[in-house]
Amino acid sequence: MRIFLLVFSIALSLLPATAPAATIEMDVNGLVCAFCAQGIEKKLRAFPATADVVVSLEKKLVAVALKPGQDISDSDLTAALTNAGYSVKAIHREDESLDAVRARLKASGS
Amino acid sequence: MSYEFSNGRLIFAAALMFPALVAAKPIAFANGTTIMAEYGAGTMEEVQAFYAPYYWLSLGGGSLRLDSDETDRTRSIEYLRVNYLAKRWNLDDAQANVFVWGGLGTATGNDFRGSRLDRDAGFQADYETRRVYASFVSDLHESSAYSHRVDTLQLGFAPHETDYHDLAVWFVLQARDYTGDIHRGTEYAALLRLFKGGAWVEAGFTGDGKPQIMMMFNF
Repeated sequence: MRIFLLVFSIALSLLPATAPAATIEMDVNGLVCAFCAQGIEKKLRAFPATADVVVSLEKKLVAVALKPGQDISDSDLTAALTNAGYSVKAIHREDESLDAVRARLKASGS
Repeated sequence: MSYEFSNGRLIFAAALMFPALVAAKPIAFANGTTIMAEYGAGTMEEVQAFYAPYYWLSLGGGSLRLDSDETDRTRSIEYLRVNYLAKRWNLDDAQANVFVWGGLGTATGNDFRGSRLDRDAGFQADYETRRVYASFVSDLHESSAYSHRVDTLQLGFAPHETDYHDLAVWFVLQARDYTGDIHRGTEYAALLRLFKGGAWVEAGFTGDGKPQIMMMFNF
């Protein structure tokens, strides 16, 4: 039993301190039309770690859901949106699912 | 190349007052393809296809036909063109752009023999929010046999804001001026624009009742 607890403790200590966020949200400037959204969605879906993407013109928000255990760095996301022709104001990592983000946007009228 | 201003001065002046803009952009987004077709009141017909490797550059070509309503002149121009995003402003609730382009092609017409080398140059400036938009496009085609410039000013408004997957509805007023004896005076048009996702359709009538239709697809 003592050996089991020791192995379990070691295993726990090897886990990353924080698991990757479920969803990454980005505040984006210049997001005014469907073509903008289309270009951004295409760029972000090209990441292997991307599970899904939501774009809200109303909230000037782009949200990316990550595949389990995967991540995309802030610098890669900023580069992707800059290379799509847009300006990233802020990046937030959230624990809520993309469906929850959709529901929140819908509730706020977006 | 001559870039003289004719009676399109009014349009040009108006375009300067509005921080210019354009509707259909020659570069939609990086790694995107744009296909556009326009029927302009029997005076101008144009088809274009561009591929954008970057958000600031697209390459492609088009076919332009001009039919003068002043004379019996016609022009058929096939060209290759490079579009460049010279400047973009990403604002909190708006975006503005300046595009420039240049190209070469071949042209035939019914008032000169054979084909001529066509030189194409132009620019477009646009400003757009989710409710208001304005654009000015100036496109010059010139050869040893002719010089034609088409200036188009569009002002549009949306009755309500829409989001990405909604059908966007815009009302657009347009003023267009042709140089080179293609059309006398400024041609005005009222247009209804609809777009959703990557598809865009714009249709309406000019002041003298002629139809104008434009379609664009981005993918």
